[in-house]
Amino acid sequence: MRVGWSFVASDLCRTIKMSYSKEDALSKARHDLARRLGVKEHDVREDAVEEADFPDTSLGAGTDDEMSGQMITRGWRIKLQANNRTYEYRADRNQVRLYDFNGKNFLL
Amino acid sequence: MNRNNFLIHIALAVVLILVAAFAGQLRRWQHEYKARVRIMPAEEKTRRAATTAEVAEIEARALARPEVLVKFKPGISDSTIRHITAKFNDRVEDSIESVRGLNAIDDLDDADAVQTAAAYLALPEVEYAEPNYDIELDDFASNPIRPSDPRFSDQWALANDGQRGGKQGADISAMNAWSVTTGDDDIVIAVLDSGVDYNHSDLENNIWRRPANVPEFVDDTAGTIQDLQGYNAINNDADPMDDNGHGTHCAGIIGAEGGNDIGITGVNWKVRIMPLKFMNAGGYGTTKDAIEAINYVIDRKNHGVNVRVISASWGSTMRSQALEDTINKAYEAGILFVAAAGNASTDNDRRPHYPSSFPNVIAVAALDRNDKLASFSNWGAKHVAIAAPGAEILSTWLGDEYEEKSGTSMATPVVAGVAALVAANEPRISIDDLRKRILTSVDKLDSLKSKVATGGRINAAKALGAQ
Repeated sequence: MRVGWSFVASDLCRTIKMSYSKEDALSKARHDLARRLGVKEHDVREDAVEEADFPDTSLGAGTDDEMSGQMITRGWRIKLQANNRTYEYRADRNQVRLYDFNGKNFLL
Repeated sequence: MNRNNFLIHIALAVVLILVAAFAGQLRRWQHEYKARVRIMPAEEKTRRAATTAEVAEIEARALARPEVLVKFKPGISDSTIRHITAKFNDRVEDSIESVRGLNAIDDLDDADAVQTAAAYLALPEVEYAEPNYDIELDDFASNPIRPSDPRFSDQWALANDGQRGGKQGADISAMNAWSVTTGDDDIVIAVLDSGVDYNHSDLENNIWRRPANVPEFVDDTAGTIQDLQGYNAINNDADPMDDNGHGTHCAGIIGAEGGNDIGITGVNWKVRIMPLKFMNAGGYGTTKDAIEAINYVIDRKNHGVNVRVISASWGSTMRSQALEDTINKAYEAGILFVAAAGNASTDNDRRPHYPSSFPNVIAVAALDRNDKLASFSNWGAKHVAIAAPGAEILSTWLGDEYEEKSGTSMATPVVAGVAALVAANEPRISIDDLRKRILTSVDKLDSLKSKVATGGRINAAKALGAQ
């Protein structure tokens, strides 16, 4: 697995090859949230990880300037808690995304 | 024989005659009923599995028919008639002896019959000229074509027999449409998506390949690209291989090869699919790469490739003027743009979804197998034009596989595919007329009232005039 990707707009759609397991996705989400909030990873608590159908290939969490296939896509909804708040990540085997973080979506 | 026996025999004969007459009437009633309801019994459908070769033979016979009937004025000699027809690159296929001067004329260029008749009518030697109209039985359902593809029975969108709890007849009437045409490999349809698995055994024969007389694509930054079978706008190269699956699924809906005894059939049994890749393995891409790919299609069209339709099963709520301008250019070039309405279960009239909400686009909503708007589908009485089957749709997938998928992504290629069928049947149809034809060829549904502008589900047979 390739981790720690940092996309800028022009990099967004270079051909990607990766395959996440549920555990990979959870780990990546936990790491990302800790970094964003400036807390330690063990302070990020797993609230729920469940299978879900999302409305499109961007898992209903598309970023600006992003077009996505309009196909129902199965993935995982990952809910994490930190600082007494709940944060939602969405993932499938191709991607992990942070949903509606201060009104914006992020592709990890 | 005594008198009593004779009377008994007479009575028996009368009874037998009455029974036979009644049986004959029953058969007539049965035939009339079938013609009226236009539903074919399942066992009869199973018997009529047609291969591509059989369909090609039917179409070849149709092409060999004389196009026009021309009556020359009295006194016009046979040699003059031959001279006139030769001038048009036509030939007299037959002279009708009972009406002097009347000839069945075959146009060797297979030009449009109406235009050919008009050309003859303009001549001073001609009394009248008319197209050789097909005279067809009212009972279209007696001649629907069922393909030999083994998983056709799972394709409810094309022929809904009520399988898996669906509603019988909630489909696009594909089998009746195929009695008119199963498509044409002169028609190119661009699948603007995550690419297409051009090696899939149910697609490879229907993939567009750049003809030798069309020059390579020249990109301003990348230079000459040897675009053998499409274009990859992400890498700006010639390989549009799909690494997601979404584009391959959409391509199969449009044109998985029909009648080849493999897998499924597309709305078109034969067509040319131009693979375009602007979405990556994750299934997402940038507006800029979408624009690059549309620009490629317009360029190919300007170099003589007969691209009639772009199928776009993607979108977002972000509006891009540059994308709209490029789509308008495609429309001006005669390329119909069909796009997915979106899967957010929202009203596009209130919260637009692009590119489907642009004016020069046919926006498509999705239906389930019961003719209901799919629970995920966007709608819009103004900004969504039409609906098509889009839930639990079986189609081609990566690795020579098949998968069932749902979304307005799946409904879009159904409509795009029907547009390609119409173009196959009427090669000279203008883009305005093609658009109009699609939008007027629907089955109105109560479930779509105030949901889509046409209020209906696309009907391929209606679009081809077969219903």
